[in-house]
Amino acid sequence: MKLKTYLLLAALGLHSISQPVRADETSDAIGQLKSQVEELTQKIKALERNREIEKEAAEEKKKATPTLSAGADGFWFRSAETNFALRIRGYGQFDGRYYGGTARAARDTFTIRRLRLGLEGTVYQNYDYKVLTDFGSGITSTPANNAFLQDAYVNIHYWPEFQVQLGKFKEPVSLEVLQSDANLLFVERGFPTQLAPNRDVGIQFQGDLFKNRLSYAAGVFNGVPDGGSGDVETTDSEKDFAGRIFAKPFKTTDIAALQGLALGVGASYGRQDGALGTYVTPGRQRFFSYLSGAGALATPNVAAAGEHLRLAPQGYWYWKQFGLFGEYVLSRQQVKRVSGATANVARLDNEAWNVAVSYVLTGEDNAFNTPTPLHPVSFKEGGWGAWEVAARYGELSIDNGAFPLFASAGSARKISSWGLGLNWYLNKNLKFNFDYEQSLFDAGTVKPNTVTSQDEHVFLGRAQFAF
Amino acid sequence: MKTFFGTLIALSLAITAGYAAKTVTLLNVSYDPTRELYQDINAAFTKEWKDKTGDEIIIKQSHGGSGKQARSVIDGLEADVVTLALAYDIDAIASKNVIPKDWQKRLPDNSTPYTSTIVFVVRKGNPKHIKDWDDLVKPGVKIVPANPKTSGGARWTYLAAYGAALKSNNGDAAKAKAYIAKFYQNAPVLDIGARGATTTFLQREIGDVLVGWENEALITLNELGKGQYEIVYPSISIVAEPPVSLVDKVADRKGTRKIAEAYLNFLFTPAGQEIAAKHFYRPRNAEVAKKFERTFKTIPTFTIDELFGGWQKAQQEHFAEGGVFDQIFKDNR
Repeated sequence: MKLKTYLLLAALGLHSISQPVRADETSDAIGQLKSQVEELTQKIKALERNREIEKEAAEEKKKATPTLSAGADGFWFRSAETNFALRIRGYGQFDGRYYGGTARAARDTFTIRRLRLGLEGTVYQNYDYKVLTDFGSGITSTPANNAFLQDAYVNIHYWPEFQVQLGKFKEPVSLEVLQSDANLLFVERGFPTQLAPNRDVGIQFQGDLFKNRLSYAAGVFNGVPDGGSGDVETTDSEKDFAGRIFAKPFKTTDIAALQGLALGVGASYGRQDGALGTYVTPGRQRFFSYLSGAGALATPNVAAAGEHLRLAPQGYWYWKQFGLFGEYVLSRQQVKRVSGATANVARLDNEAWNVAVSYVLTGEDNAFNTPTPLHPVSFKEGGWGAWEVAARYGELSIDNGAFPLFASAGSARKISSWGLGLNWYLNKNLKFNFDYEQSLFDAGTVKPNTVTSQDEHVFLGRAQFAF
Repeated sequence: MKTFFGTLIALSLAITAGYAAKTVTLLNVSYDPTRELYQDINAAFTKEWKDKTGDEIIIKQSHGGSGKQARSVIDGLEADVVTLALAYDIDAIASKNVIPKDWQKRLPDNSTPYTSTIVFVVRKGNPKHIKDWDDLVKPGVKIVPANPKTSGGARWTYLAAYGAALKSNNGDAAKAKAYIAKFYQNAPVLDIGARGATTTFLQREIGDVLVGWENEALITLNELGKGQYEIVYPSISIVAEPPVSLVDKVADRKGTRKIAEAYLNFLFTPAGQEIAAKHFYRPRNAEVAKKFERTFKTIPTFTIDELFGGWQKAQQEHFAEGGVFDQIFKDNR
């Protein structure tokens, strides 16, 4: 307003000094000058406003440059339009195991159960990739299984309904295997995972249908023993076919209590030669293995030798703070025992099942993935994080036909375990698990200080940091 | 084993029966001028939800240029719902597979709970005698629209002006293009967003005509600058449809799908429609529309589908790199 007045006065002053004129001419001139001043004022205001807008636009442009961010979900590098992204992720699990009882085979120990670092991201919008490595305790490299490399794959997803995934990743059979190690309810996975394949190299077709109410995956892989992973096929040229369908039928309905119900079935089939799986207790003690020797008369050897079928019905139900998880796996494997010139063949049906129930005490929604604390631990704001209690029961039964010819000495026919767990999620990144597990063996050995000669009582603790 | 499952189910029911009320937080990512609308919608919905379920809901709001807001959601802003200025911006989010491609079919009226149109606001007494679109391109008239490159509302404004020119020139695209070139020649300032354009016109006292959302115009008349401005309805304008959608991936991850869906459905209820009308958005509900018929003048309108073949085509032809807007803007320089 001041600017306008000054301009008007200046113009009038100049005008009146320059020439004496008649009243009507003066009035016209003043009118013209007024409109000129008004126009000038508008121009100046517009210039000022444009300068402000340019400044705002420059700030916006700054925001459109590639971003580097760090947060609870890891470290991100992203192009402005997000078609290219790289995320650094990782988690470490520091475990403690304490075995109760006086006569026992295992030693109480601290261990780095997993220490994983990974890269994942996207290129050209529709190509996702992931590489995950493990530096945990006891991770060694062998020709058949380089356990350092957990995942290494590319997922091509032009359409959510039909995606192609190639590389090394988890075979689509067991539900609990597909759950990330960082999201486990208990320190150790349930028995069904020991009969299912873990990570394998292959190609898989997968997709989500009907608004994510039904997902499917089907692929061809090298084939791995029960509970095993592999990078390369060294014993045969046969391939395993694996597939899984998983339905969340009520996900988009109004029935709130059933929206978190999911049911599915996974399966694999192939012919396998070579190594067989061994099975362990919740305390990681081996309670069953096949005979392993040179194949001579005094040192018989048992190996996979033919058809291998797995069947895995599975499901979960999460509603508000409550969670129920269950899975069954049948692993039917043809095996061959070689002892000098004698060979025995058998088809063995090993079975495992597991049911777990959990409840989040602090109000967060329970889910297949780790709950996110509503009030992360904070001394200033008084947050206590999220607390969860859990219980489970599971069994693993070995086919009676495995005894006595195929099983190693001291192996049990069956293990039954129950466990209780308390989980404390301090925030999205830090979690503590406290578990007690008790296991009973059927037809174990009586030899003292061996795994199956007595019940296993084990306390397991875990501190996990994940980002 | 049967006994075991029976025990588990009984245990499950016992535990879940003890479920207590809880607090849920939703984030609504919206466009520039809807701040006041959603403050009232949120208050009404949270009350209704608490009365119905006992649960507390905290609804957070985020506002900005519609395109920019869509980009933020794509970049990871954890929106449970988006309520943006145009379908093209929600399509952009859907292209990242966080919303189904057919999102617009999930709610009534193409997921658009309310509509608006493009009108003019002039200073008191209408000193430049602005009556229709042709008056905006006369020499000496300064108009204040926002920038179509950054503002959803400004794209509606552009399409309203271009469409009116097409209509008055029997569909002659060359004449419409010439008109739209003159239109932006008369704009001394192009603000980033619709609310910014209102600020330019009202507070900075720049220009003779504010061209934009009807709801912004009516707020200007009734609240921001009572008695200082007049609204001018052109002879024809566009039906502007700001749509809404659930952000499925976020809602599923946070477990808020049910509440977020209920929140969006609330917009279509008579209560939600009445709040929209009070904030000068044209309601879809016939009864509510009747109640507020004196607020909204009926004028002939056209839709984006009728004249421009939908948002994807309009975007490509007019606003994409090298499109009509870029061409005329380059020529105007």
